Amino acid sequence: MALEEELHEQLDEATADLVVRARDGDGAAWSRLVDRYSGLLWSIARSFGLNEADGGDVVQMTWLRLIERMDQIAEPGAVGGWLATTARRESLRTAQRSGTRRLPYDVREDAAPPPEQILLARERLGDVAAALQALPRRCQVLLRMLALAPSYAELAAALDIPIGSIGPTRARCLDNLQRRLPR
Amino acid sequence: MNEDELLVRLRAAFQALDPIPEDVLAAGRSAITWRRPDAALAELADDHNRPLPAGVRGVTTRLLTFAGTELSVEIEVTGTERSNRELTGRLVPACDAHVRVRHLTYAHDVLSTRTDKAGQFVLPRVPEGLVSLEFHLSDATSVVTSWVRL
Repeated sequence: MALEEELHEQLDEATADLVVRARDGDGAAWSRLVDRYSGLLWSIARSFGLNEADGGDVVQMTWLRLIERMDQIAEPGAVGGWLATTARRESLRTAQRSGTRRLPYDVREDAAPPPEQILLARERLGDVAAALQALPRRCQVLLRMLALAPSYAELAAALDIPIGSIGPTRARCLDNLQRRLPR
Repeated sequence: MNEDELLVRLRAAFQALDPIPEDVLAAGRSAITWRRPDAALAELADDHNRPLPAGVRGVTTRLLTFAGTELSVEIEVTGTERSNRELTGRLVPACDAHVRVRHLTYAHDVLSTRTDKAGQFVLPRVPEGLVSLEFHLSDATSVVTSWVRL
């Protein structure tokens, strides 16, 4: 087994363990689950062009959905993919309700960070942040999910693309980013 | 730069550009306090707006249906005020129950009522936000609905 796959398997086990412990009333395990996946859920909501308030709603709704069916989860290790799919569905619903006309992968003005934050990012992260901003939006979204999703299964659910098509897309976007970075 | 380094820097870049607000994280952590392992879930089965009769303007009606294994809940939501909603509901089959609003933002303000003989109830002023209803039945069992945004 490739090292990467092995790591993912360990992570899945840990997620399963957290879900089972949270189900038994372990609040600390629940918090760790929230800390592990909230970043991914947030980035899914933001990829739909939702503002901060709506994005926060989506993340919260997703956690409440998990709480609702905590006792019906058949595969606790696969909960990450379920969370990502749920966040997509809630994002879509929220975008429709609030009349967001833009499609996912589009940037809304109010999603732009304050200028001083960009400046800070440039100073601290320099090349990567600048290179990112020059990429097509689709690649930006993919790389963001890639950086946050613990496994391919979760990445596929977050992007709503077949797991088999991740490899090539991922390689293309990473390559595109690398080419924009100074050697 | 190898791929692992690149991913670390990507994570840092997104964290700096668009961090998840701390209050969103905190709300997620406290979501577990809403768990009711002893209550049956009535899941959202339908959510649509009823078209207004011709000639009537203004207030729209939203119809929500929650389906559980033994009990379904039908709710009509009307927006009588900007920030408050009126909920008119019905339990199917009709039964006697104590009804309580679980409101994410107003967790400590208890808003409750009882059903009448036909299983109907009215909650005239429910603030907008994330809401779930909880029913305590006369046989001491409980039912909660899925969360919805009012």
